[in-house]
This record gives sequence, C-alpha cells and structure tokens, in this order.
Amino acid sequence: MTRASAAGLGANFFDRFMVPIISLSVPLLAWEILARAGILNDFLFPPPSSIFPHMWAKSGVDIKGGVLYSHVYYSMLRLLTGLGLATAVGTLIGILIGLTKWGRFLFKPLLSLFMPVPTLAWTPILLLLMGVDNKTTILIVFIAASFEIILNVVAGIENMNIKVFWVARSMGASPLQIFFKVIIPGILPYLITGVKLGSGYAWRALIAAEMLAASSYGLGFMIYEASEFMDMTTIYGGLAMIALLGYLIENVMMGAIERRTVEKWGVQVER
Amino acid sequence: MVMPVKPAAATVSRTAMAKPRDRRWPSGAAYAGFIRFMLPILALLIVWELAVRGGWIASNVFPSPSMIFARANALLFSTGPEQGMLFQHIGASLYRAISAFALSVIIAIPMGFALGLMPAVYKWVSPILSVLLPLPAVAWTPILLVAFGQGDRTIITVCFLGAFFPVLYSTIQGVRSVGKQPVWVVQSMGGTRRHVLLNVLLPSCMPALISGLKLGMAHSWRTLVAAEMLAALSAGLGYMIFAARSYMDVSTMFVGIALLALIGMAIEYGVFGVLEQRTVRKWHGASKVGGMQ
Repeated sequence: MTRASAAGLGANFFDRFMVPIISLSVPLLAWEILARAGILNDFLFPPPSSIFPHMWAKSGVDIKGGVLYSHVYYSMLRLLTGLGLATAVGTLIGILIGLTKWGRFLFKPLLSLFMPVPTLAWTPILLLLMGVDNKTTILIVFIAASFEIILNVVAGIENMNIKVFWVARSMGASPLQIFFKVIIPGILPYLITGVKLGSGYAWRALIAAEMLAASSYGLGFMIYEASEFMDMTTIYGGLAMIALLGYLIENVMMGAIERRTVEKWGVQVER
Repeated sequence: MVMPVKPAAATVSRTAMAKPRDRRWPSGAAYAGFIRFMLPILALLIVWELAVRGGWIASNVFPSPSMIFARANALLFSTGPEQGMLFQHIGASLYRAISAFALSVIIAIPMGFALGLMPAVYKWVSPILSVLLPLPAVAWTPILLVAFGQGDRTIITVCFLGAFFPVLYSTIQGVRSVGKQPVWVVQSMGGTRRHVLLNVLLPSCMPALISGLKLGMAHSWRTLVAAEMLAALSAGLGYMIFAARSYMDVSTMFVGIALLALIGMAIEYGVFGVLEQRTVRKWHGASKVGGMQ
C-alpha cells in the first residue's frame, strides 16, 4: 500500500517536474552544442548560455544603469494602467448593456461595429492624435482588453438569477446597495474571467504597440531596437522575458486575484 | 425518401426560443431590428460630422465621415493610378494572410493528429508548446527581420506563428475528445486504420477542427496588420495605414481600418460560417434538440 503510493508519488513527481525540465533542456542543449561547434550560425543563433549573462549585465548597475528594469517597469506600467481603465469602463458598459434597455440599444451596435477591427490598426491614428507617448500604448492596451471584459460582464448579468434582485428589493435595498451587494458580487467570477482573458490579449497587443509607438522604454521597444543593431542576444533575452512575464501575468497574478476574491468570498457561478 | 420525424421537444423549444417581438411584427421585425441596430451608429456618425463641421475637432487631424467616404470613393472608384494601388494593397494582404494560414493548416493539423493520438509524445512535447504559446507572434518579428530582412517572408512567417497555435490546440483537443468505443466498434467490425481515421476520427473531431481553422484565420488576419506595419516594403493594408501617417492622411487610415474590419468579417462569416453550416450543423444537427434544419 505505502510502496504503491510512494511509487505513485514518484511517478507524479517525475511527470510534473522532470518531464518539463528534460523536454525543455534537450533542445536548448542541442542548440548550445551546435552553436559552440559552429554548425549553427552563431550570429543568428547565439548559444543560450551567452543570453543569460547578457541580460544580467543589462539589468546590473553599470554605466547605463539597469536598463532592463526600466523596460520591464514601463511595459508593466502601461499594461496595468490600460487594464485598470479597461476594467472600470468595461464593467460599467457591461452593466449598462445587461441591465438597462437604452444601454443595450446604444452600445450593442457600437460594439459590433468596433469589435472586428484589429486592435493594432488603431495605432497610426492614435500616434497622430497623441504622439509617441505612453498614452498611445495605454490606449491600445485599453482597446485590446475592454471587449473581452464587456462581453463577460454581460454574460455574468444574463446568468444571474432574477430572484436575487427580487429578494434584495423586497427587503428594501437601495439601488446603491443593490449595485454593491448584489450586482458586483454576482458578476465577479465573470468579470475576473474577462480580465484574465483580456490581460492575455492586452499583453500581446502591448508588445506590438511598443514596437510601433514607444519612444525609449518597454520590452517591445527593446527587442525592436535590438533588431536595428542586429543584437540577437538581446532579442532572445527579451523574448524569454516576454514569455515569462506573459505567463506570470495570466497565471500567477490573475490566479492570486481569483483566490483573494472569488474563492474567499465564496461567490459561486449560479447556473 | 422518408423525412425524419421531429421529436416533440425540438418543436417546443424552437417556439419557446422565438422572441415575442417576432410575433408582434411577423413581416417588419427584421427591418425594425435593423433600423434599431443602425440608429446608434448613424447617431455617432452625425455627431462626429457636426463636431468636425462646427470646428470642435480639427479636420486635418480628425476628418469627418463625409471626407472619409469621399476618400474611400476616390480610392475605390476613380479611374486613376490610385485605384490600382488600393486593390494592390488588398491583394498583397490577402495573399500573405491566406498563404500563412494555409501553411499553418498543412503543418498543424497532421501534427495535432499525431500529438492527439500519441499521449506519450504529447507528454514530452507539451512543455515546449506551453513555453512558446504565451509569446505574442509579433514578438518574433525582430528575429525574422534580422534573418530575412523586410518583406513577404518575414510577414508570412509571423502570421504563420499567429495562426499555428489555435489550429494545433483545437486539433489536439478534437482528437483527444473522441471516445474509444466508436474506434473499438469499427475495429471489431473489421475496419482498418484507414477506416478508423476517415470514418471515425475525422468526422467526430470536425467541429473542433473547423473552429480551429476559423480561429487560425482570424489570428492570421489580426497579426497581419502589425506585421505589415513593421516589415512591409511597399504594399499591404497595414503598410497603407502606417505609410499614410507620414502624410497625415487620416482619411486613408480610416478607409484602411474599415477595409480590414470588413474583409475580416467577410472571411469569418462568409467563408467559415458557410463551411460550418455545410458540415458541422448538417452532420451533427440531427442528434441535437432543435438543431435539425
């Protein structure tokens, strides 16, 4: 019994940790060896072992003074500002569509007018209106994230039980109380799903927008600038940072928010 | 030919799903709905037009709808060199998006079938895929710019990367969700591997496959805009929009944005919607309540 469970634990450990480590390190090792041996073009494919020291040097305090931190800081600043804006505006519009007749009448056609436009197509117009500025990239993040949030909030309201409103109203709740005690907890699981999906889209749009419209900082700007100097090591390091941060935002950050709110408050999706 | 008998539940659920509005105006309901739909859009255009005419918005920075329509008219129908240019842009964009999509389908669907049918291989490959998945396709552009330079090869590769993962993942999901029993049934009746593949696996993962294709084409089209802004040499709708920035030609930008949205929608509803109707709805509708039409 114990031996069987120990063997099960061993197999579980092997599957959870060893398989990813081995399957990721084999291609990297092959790349390293081929690059060192000179079989792979080491200008286009610099050995992976040279990438980490390079990024470490970029983040350290030298003459330039920790450039990597500024790139990450500006990217995160833009992402979080745009995402916050999109959450506030998206929730409001979603609630108006879900609860009021005029909101549905006004916003639904406008949504279906603007939704098929690829987000990044707005970049040149925003560049002309705002200039090469944080505002342009923040607005791109806002546009990329808000549709998903609106759609999820509307779905959340449509799935709420109308009896909950009746109960609240019959016990004499004011509209403000209904908003904060009934609507917000009711749509919260959907809202967080929307923000989670939206943050994924926003991160992708932000990297592209930074390539097109950032002036001096941002991870997208970093890799695009590096391509002009043909600095492949920085590009690969930047790609690794972008993948890592994208993973952290979508899984770790949004997961923590989910635990703090939905699971702690015990709000459940009523079906 | 005997018509299949509709189950009672289907008819009941269909009438229950019909909106009360439809019953009040049986003939004009569609028109009324369309007018209700268009009213806010028209209101937006009128307010925008008046704001520009009234001088609240500078017309050289933000042109009015009438100026944009005039520009679209000139680009589309004037018999000058400009008309050729617009269709050249559209053609270049379509060529890139479709060839990237075709490439991703050719590679991702066989790969998805292989990974879906062989769990052992999937176990070892999935960490690599999940590291590559959160990377935006556009982030590969700098590497490709250094490797290939500007031009079609870079753009098509970026769009290919954008379309590849949705197609691959929905194929894997579709193949893995096929039950073992149908396969066993076909095998016990003496079916070969070819029979299992063509008569069991392919039809049952068709819905997932088609939704993957739809997503893949949409991603390819959306990635295209950014890729063309970064890496196009002379043609493409994304290039047209971005180049118009140098001349402060906002009307052309709006024409380009409207065309991007319209072509994207035409592909999604015109091509893939019809494909879905012809295949998935037709084959799977009979087993679902209210889906038999």
